[in-house]
Amino acid sequence: MKSPFKIFFSKLLLFIIPVLILFEVLFRLGFYPIITNSTLFDTKMLAIQRQHIKKIDLLSIGSSITLYDLNSDIIVKNFNKPYYNLGSWGLQITDMRALLQSFVKEYHPKYVILCSSFTDFISPSNDTYANYINTDFWVKNNFPEAFYFKDYHSIHQIVRRKYKAYPLNFDKWGGAALKFTLKDIVWNKWNEHGIFPTKYSNCNYSDLDSLSTFLHQQHIKFIFIQAPIKKSYANTVLSKQIIQSHFDKCRSITESHGGTYLSYYKTDVFTDNYFIDQYHLQGTGAEVLTRLVVEDLKKIIF
Amino acid sequence: MFYGWWDWRFLFLLAGSSLLNYYLGILIAGAKSEKRRNFLIWTGLLQGLGSLLFFKYFNFFIASLTAALLKFNIRLDVYTLNIILPLGISFYTFKTISYLLDIKKGKIEPSRDWVVFFGYVAFFPTVTSGPIDRPGALIPQLKKQRVFNYSQASDGMRQILLGLFKKIVIADNCAAFTTEIFSNYKTLPASSLLFGAFLFTMQIYTDFSGYSDIAIGISNLLGFKVTRNFDSPFFAQNIADFWRRWHITLTTWLTDYVFTPLSIYFRNYGKMGTILAILINFTLIGIWHGANFTFLLFGFLHGCYYIPLILRGTFGKKKKVIAGTGSKFSIGEIINVILTFLLVMFTFVIFRADTLTQAFDYYRRLFSVTIFTMPVITETVNTAVVLLAVILLFWAEWQQRGKQHILQIDFIKAFPVRALIYFGLILLILSFSATKNADFIYFKF
Repeated sequence: MKSPFKIFFSKLLLFIIPVLILFEVLFRLGFYPIITNSTLFDTKMLAIQRQHIKKIDLLSIGSSITLYDLNSDIIVKNFNKPYYNLGSWGLQITDMRALLQSFVKEYHPKYVILCSSFTDFISPSNDTYANYINTDFWVKNNFPEAFYFKDYHSIHQIVRRKYKAYPLNFDKWGGAALKFTLKDIVWNKWNEHGIFPTKYSNCNYSDLDSLSTFLHQQHIKFIFIQAPIKKSYANTVLSKQIIQSHFDKCRSITESHGGTYLSYYKTDVFTDNYFIDQYHLQGTGAEVLTRLVVEDLKKIIF
Repeated sequence: MFYGWWDWRFLFLLAGSSLLNYYLGILIAGAKSEKRRNFLIWTGLLQGLGSLLFFKYFNFFIASLTAALLKFNIRLDVYTLNIILPLGISFYTFKTISYLLDIKKGKIEPSRDWVVFFGYVAFFPTVTSGPIDRPGALIPQLKKQRVFNYSQASDGMRQILLGLFKKIVIADNCAAFTTEIFSNYKTLPASSLLFGAFLFTMQIYTDFSGYSDIAIGISNLLGFKVTRNFDSPFFAQNIADFWRRWHITLTTWLTDYVFTPLSIYFRNYGKMGTILAILINFTLIGIWHGANFTFLLFGFLHGCYYIPLILRGTFGKKKKVIAGTGSKFSIGEIINVILTFLLVMFTFVIFRADTLTQAFDYYRRLFSVTIFTMPVITETVNTAVVLLAVILLFWAEWQQRGKQHILQIDFIKAFPVRALIYFGLILLILSFSATKNADFIYFKF
């Protein structure tokens, strides 16, 4: 005769096991757990896990500027090193600073490339990345299903996210190309003048400083790439001064900690037809930029 | 550990209060004279109520006094303190007070085992938000050696599941709407405000009764029987009936230690005495919830609702359970239930409002022609889920009236059918939990 406690415990398992199976089925069907509030970031992290990536020598990090402006094929062909583009929509410098703590520990990069524009310096940090950062590497790599329970989101939310998400297409190195025709251009964004600097800019500058210091201490080469901006953005004296002041700050911070600062704000090279809005390059523009970047990086990366 | 997890500093208050009341209990039982017994009781009351007054009402009192004096052009420069309310202070203070008063009345013997007594005060499933268990019920259970009881434990698990369903599926989803509605009530049509009042009534019921279900369920798992706190309050046919079913342990506590002594004190004034006693009692229930005039008015209004019952002489009469044990109910019963619900729902607007001004403004906007428009609903799926879950809950409460909780479904003999019901609830919890989990409302009391 079994003890009442054993019967109770067995019946309890009878209810727990199907729940665990349900989440495993969801995972296998592609209804991935919500780790942060960035669908792209979550998908990319799970893609890395599936590719069993353990080492990234050349690691690029950033927002959509890094994601779309760096062409993975060109970089991979020119450098015989493991490469991955960890760029994700909306990442701010403060987020990159926090995420790099994890990425450096997990992927041991030798070079960190940040392709940036001032849109990376306008918002506060996104707290939801903490859920990823504060999770053990082993769990992230071997048991990502744990995220279903770590920061619980209902199945309804998970399903809704999958079907409502903006189409996520990135190559096996995490990069993506924007292929736009003239009719795809959103005209109110074409000449949009976002507010810069904002009340969060200083905090982002200070985190750029902290990020550079951190990488320097870890003996990792930091390369800051100032991405092109559409010529029409700097159409007033004031806006010219603002972007110049931003470039100077980024250069000064990067170089003061042994990093390399490369600016591609070249309005004669990057003409309007390379852009899809004020800051993002489309596929052909990204190719032109990456070729220029690669030429410069060859002097730094061996 | 459980209590200290929230803020370890308040462990000292909890432990100090427990230690003092432990010794006071022993001293009261051994006191030779009534005078000494009264002195000891007052020492305990002073400590308990003193802490409660200080932590909960000090700033409110100072702010109200300053505002009142300012009306007479008297400026009082007194600073309020940055006081954090210790978790569960209203609950465990009532437990220690009833312990001392019951010893004085000779209802119970003092506990000579400090572990048992400390366990009673800080009984972990109920220390944060009740139910407020009486010493006569809980202390003897703490003294006994516990043996695992299968049926009690499985009943506990069922009640925990029910509590989670109420909290996660209904209360948290309602909270998302009510926060939105009460924050933007000035821009919404009256129909949305009515919907908001309804949803808040559902929220507070499912939040608090959900918490109580979880607390009782955990107690059952550990082998303790804890007093029920809710008994289908929205099937009440009048306000007295409602309070016999809502937050039962607080109502009975105040009935025993406040209302009954006051009724005796005012007995020479007939019905007026009873009205006075009930108004004091309910005003106390109101301000027990917190230091705000909204709570005071909430309690006072509930006291006022009793006046017709007292004048008609039906106040003490227990209303028959709706439909008895059968399934048919009269039109009169239904009208009573709806009217009682509406009365309660309208007072919950005051309970939810941040200030009395906001509450009155909410009422003013509620009674306007836009009440006949469609309410503004942004999250249609979640709204549908909440409404269906509420209907399901009330249907089950109706079917299961008279039982301790609605998941006591042992009358269904086939285990697979019972399991299907449990899995259904689990699936609802997993599928429709709210985007943001709200704290239990009664944690702040």
